[in-house]
Amino acid sequence: MENLNLQHTEDTPEVILNSFDGSCFIEGRSLPENAVAFYLPIIEWLNTYNNEISAAINFEFKLDYFNTASAKQITKVMLTLQKIAQSNAVKIRWHYLTEDADIKSSGMRFAKLIKADIELVAYDDN
Amino acid sequence: MGNQATNNSFAFRLFKDMQKDNLQYIYRGIFSQNITDSILSLTESNLEKSGESSKIKKRVFTIMVEGLQNITRHQEMDEKVDSSSETGIFIIQNQNNRYYITTGNPIFKKNIADLTGQLNKINSLTADELKSYYKDILNDNIISDKGGAGLGLIEMARKSGNKLVYDFVDLSENYAYFYLNTEISQGNEDASPTVQKATDSLSNIKEVHKILNQENIVLIFNGIFNQESLLNILSIIENQMMEQNLNLKKKVFNIMVEMLQNIVKHGTNSYEDGSNPGIFFISQKNEQYQLYTGNFIGFAESKTLKRKIDYVNSLSLEELNDFYEKSLFNFQVDSSKEAGLGLIELRLKTQKELLYHISTYNDKFSFFVLQTGVE
Repeated sequence: MENLNLQHTEDTPEVILNSFDGSCFIEGRSLPENAVAFYLPIIEWLNTYNNEISAAINFEFKLDYFNTASAKQITKVMLTLQKIAQSNAVKIRWHYLTEDADIKSSGMRFAKLIKADIELVAYDDN
Repeated sequence: MGNQATNNSFAFRLFKDMQKDNLQYIYRGIFSQNITDSILSLTESNLEKSGESSKIKKRVFTIMVEGLQNITRHQEMDEKVDSSSETGIFIIQNQNNRYYITTGNPIFKKNIADLTGQLNKINSLTADELKSYYKDILNDNIISDKGGAGLGLIEMARKSGNKLVYDFVDLSENYAYFYLNTEISQGNEDASPTVQKATDSLSNIKEVHKILNQENIVLIFNGIFNQESLLNILSIIENQMMEQNLNLKKKVFNIMVEMLQNIVKHGTNSYEDGSNPGIFFISQKNEQYQLYTGNFIGFAESKTLKRKIDYVNSLSLEELNDFYEKSLFNFQVDSSKEAGLGLIELRLKTQKELLYHISTYNDKFSFFVLQTGVE
């Protein structure tokens, strides 16, 4: 199974989904014109990984901004991870800049609504 | 609420005024290098879409660069005076297939005589004379401390193929406001100068500028809304807000994206030429920002939209939060066009009722104005 690597653009985040060890990483800002199309390959990759490799996943979210259209698609990614967590170990780490109230509260919202292991991790700028 | 109606109809009036003269883009504020770059790429991407010949595009671009550099070099400001009327302005206008670029900036009154002399000299020369005058100045090496020596002005006159129209407006004891309007001729080099038209358009611009100063409007974009123009507008505002604190910056950013993507996704084209016309402007008072969008929507859709906004406005913040979470998991509304979250997010972020106004435009279309405030 192949990895999924996407370079960041002005309106989409960097994505690294590694099929070798199940480490996943998404970083940057997300406000694409078509959020459904951007997140679909990520959801498909996770489903394929679960079917073909069926091993643990470590998912790191380090977003500094996302629009509402992306919020909905990130919710779908979270729900996919929730589903995978029923059969495999899933660890989600939600990174936020210490003074960024927005991203922190989004992380808290997901931790409340998604049945998976979600840890909030603060980091400082520099 | 009376205030809401006034402000919102003001937005529609401004849109109509700008449509009438086809003012496409106005930036008013401090011109830094970053902001200048963003303005250039915004206009460039709009020019790309306009289908103009590369010759015209290049002319417009060159004149923009010179005009913007004039502002950045010469924005002469007195720190003590209230700066609202002392910020630079940049306007691009496309009317009857002609482009007009207007710049404005405050200058020291003592420099008016020199500047007038230069402008009159340039306006008195033919295209060939301008060319040799340009070379003369280069050879003579008379470069002012600001680096210009009027080369920028000569370049603007040469590239535009027209006379430079200018005006000075009194600001204070020591300062005047300098307007420079250039019409870019479409056709051959021998296009006859239409100074009268440029002068008329300048007097309209001075009127619009007064309103902008009154309302402290820092940016107006009246043009084609797409993802590309959205990103450019965002980067201009990001640069302008560099000094503000992170959470305010992000709030404004957040709200702008939702409002602008609303136009990109839901705006209706009433002109049948494939464009998606609308207006976006932002006014700034102290640490308070007011953001406005205006766009056409179908008459029938306007009723649905009104219901949605009224519903969102009727909820308490707690109910709103529940509604957000419910909508987040409602995958019946889940397309590239609509996630069903934008309006809820706007109200959550601003913590205020969403102000809006729907005016009838004709039997098919309404004009929808949305206003949000950020503190």
